[in-house]
Amino acid sequence: MSQKNKKKEPGFKFIKTSGGIEEYHLESNNLRILTLEDHSAPVATFMVTYHVGSRNEAIGYTGATHLLEHLMFKGSKKFNKEKNTAIWSELQNIGAQINATTWNDRTNYFEVVPSEHLERAIAIEADRMRHAFLKDEDRQPEMTVVRNEFERGENSPFDVLDKNIWATAYQAHPYHHSTIGWRSDIENVSTKRLQEFYNMYYWPNNATVTVIGDFEKKRALALIKKHFGVHPSSQHAIPAMYTEEPEQEGPRRIIVKRGGQTGIVGIGHKTPEGLNKDTYALQVLGKILTEGKVSKLYKRIVDPGLATSLFMYDFPFKDCGMFISYVFLTPETDHNSVEEIVLQEYKQIIKEGIKQKELNRAKAQINANVAFSRDGSYAVASALNEAIAIGDWTFYSTFMDHIKKVSRKDVQRVAEKYLIEDQSTIGWFIPQD
Amino acid sequence: MNNYFSEKIVVDEPEAGLSTFVMPTGAKDVITFAGSLLCGALYSPKKNREISSLTSGMLDKGTNNKDKFEVSDTLESVGAEINFFTTAHHLQFTGYCLKNDLETVLCLLAEQLREPLFSDEELSTLKKRLIGNLERTKEDTKKQAMIGLLRDLYPPHHPNYAHTTNTKIELVSSVSTKEIRALHKKTYGLGGFNFSAAGDVSPNTINALLKEQFSGWKDGAKKPYQLNLKARPVKPKERRIPISDKQSIDMYLGQAIGIDRQHKDYYPLRMAVYVLGGNFSARLMQTVRDEAGLTYGIGSSVLGTNFGSDGYWSTWATFAPALLEKGREMTQNQISKWYNKGITENELNAKKTTITGTYQVGLDSTGGLAGRILSNAEQGEKIEHLDKYPEIINNISLDKVNKTIKKHIKPKELTFVAAGTFVD
Repeated sequence: MSQKNKKKEPGFKFIKTSGGIEEYHLESNNLRILTLEDHSAPVATFMVTYHVGSRNEAIGYTGATHLLEHLMFKGSKKFNKEKNTAIWSELQNIGAQINATTWNDRTNYFEVVPSEHLERAIAIEADRMRHAFLKDEDRQPEMTVVRNEFERGENSPFDVLDKNIWATAYQAHPYHHSTIGWRSDIENVSTKRLQEFYNMYYWPNNATVTVIGDFEKKRALALIKKHFGVHPSSQHAIPAMYTEEPEQEGPRRIIVKRGGQTGIVGIGHKTPEGLNKDTYALQVLGKILTEGKVSKLYKRIVDPGLATSLFMYDFPFKDCGMFISYVFLTPETDHNSVEEIVLQEYKQIIKEGIKQKELNRAKAQINANVAFSRDGSYAVASALNEAIAIGDWTFYSTFMDHIKKVSRKDVQRVAEKYLIEDQSTIGWFIPQD
Repeated sequence: MNNYFSEKIVVDEPEAGLSTFVMPTGAKDVITFAGSLLCGALYSPKKNREISSLTSGMLDKGTNNKDKFEVSDTLESVGAEINFFTTAHHLQFTGYCLKNDLETVLCLLAEQLREPLFSDEELSTLKKRLIGNLERTKEDTKKQAMIGLLRDLYPPHHPNYAHTTNTKIELVSSVSTKEIRALHKKTYGLGGFNFSAAGDVSPNTINALLKEQFSGWKDGAKKPYQLNLKARPVKPKERRIPISDKQSIDMYLGQAIGIDRQHKDYYPLRMAVYVLGGNFSARLMQTVRDEAGLTYGIGSSVLGTNFGSDGYWSTWATFAPALLEKGREMTQNQISKWYNKGITENELNAKKTTITGTYQVGLDSTGGLAGRILSNAEQGEKIEHLDKYPEIINNISLDKVNKTIKKHIKPKELTFVAAGTFVD
């Protein structure tokens, strides 16, 4: 019997398997399903990832994806307060861990449940996929909730600086604005606009459903078919986001002055789309520079007391990204000296490369991170969600294989290619009394 | 689920004064561990409780045989981590590693605990970083509001008391390596040493390793420090802490409750507070957030009740400056309603099933397990207590919960503390 026949389930098309994860499509509406059975604890995670995020927004409705995510908890046809089946209580009363998150490329809703309650999570997600209420009387109080979420972010000097660096580095591409959106858009976007957004993107053919943990595959697929199979695929094509960022032709700077106590330096360089082959070497480069107390920047900056801490991120996104190092200064340290040290270390790698020991250490750190990204059904779902978002879930299952192949030359090459002055955006947070 | 923990956790004492709790799970390759010794802040000289936090902060800054970079490289070259921190009673550590690296990591842990270097130069840079972090907390609205609340509820030297940030900076600045060495010599050792691990781990391997590494270590404290200080008398206070350029205010309403976690009313009171503000489907989130839209986050909890300490009940929320008074009023109205009418049978039953389910969901990863097992051991509870917890909760009656609210809560005598940028 062929591999495909072994995995044949009625109503589903088996697509592929990688790292123990299997991909199926529900034939009636083209919903994509990923499954990973693991019976080590009596717990299962169910997740729906919609392929819509803040990259699908534009001026006037920035933050709409996130506001819509909030409204999705206000009730749907079968699960609502009037019927005494509100989503939060239906799930929290069985001890489920439940939430949703929105980011640049995706919106995900998840439930970590005692495995005997998996069907409840599936039923709720299926119902709100096409039957969410999205009422204006619900948007009004939820707008102020989201606005307070925005305000809490604005309390943090780091959040403010990070938003400003992205808004300076990306001018045309929608990664320009943060997922929470601009304050005036949060306040003024109409319910009608949110409903249009929902009706444009919340369809089975624009979603990936993931089931991980303690479940029996045949039964889980049957439940998914029962609950999600009632929805047709969309009658319209899901609109593509086509805006590209024009080439940056010189370094950029941004300074944020606000009440605060200590300074922050952020140094960003543009990087390619997450699925680009250079992503793996960039991830290794990031570890060598900032991960742990023997990393290059920690030894030069934090260890001698110039900063309290530092970190970098280069999240793989669908379209393009940013390699950003952040340094949190100690009170007497000036921004300029720390900025110089960071750039010196970048230049050093470009000129002389890295040592084999540094490469080995970075790979060991990533290997441990990958192992812990499989510690529990929610950990898997969370990591897999980001791979789904960038357009290929096997990015998660094959990640370590690609990392193993990264050479010292690869790391030096990507440093030379991306850590260049003309592609940089440097931000300072300068605290004011 | 009835005997889940009792059946899976292997309890041992590989060395006198070192208790181990090892739980093999279905996780592959990964091990998470946690541990603690009785040498927290209360074991420091009374004049400066910060000596203990500086002592734990120095544990990764070199040993008699390895400089700080060798210490870090030992861990980072295998992708492992060990972190130390101090609570009122304990030096705690948490860590993780892959199965094949367990020996390397535990040998290093023992070396760090038993033979730390404590150099003057390292202490000087550590202080610089700590003071930088403390300076940064002055702009943290939540942290400053919490400090304000604890200062109003408790007297100095009580385990739940908090120094102002400036006082803490002064205390940190004055610590010397001489004081650190003296504290380490006097308090670190076997006695109240608990170690828990979960994941792809063999109890025999871990016990043999720990026995080898900690054999012959000197004695430390065996029982939690008992302090007979009580909270300040409950009376309403109001404190506003201005911090410039903040768009959201953090608010606490709270009071001391006079009971610890061993008190017979502890679990009924926790259930009552859980119904008020324990999760999203609790009353405060459903009303102040979901219906009125006044806040992104609001919750209520009972805290500070460990090791005989008389704890406190607090309700926390964030509001835009212009919505603070409205938010406060609505929160207080909900508290009054909860106090006057109590909770309902349906609410109690729903929270009981929540807690039972949460317990099961908590088995999902090794990280939470090691911490939960350690916390149980620190409280002096047997492993069976972990299995009995849902039963304890399920046996709580509605009448008991509502009587407990009346007995321990004084809704008209709440202390109010808020930090942020206030509107005129």
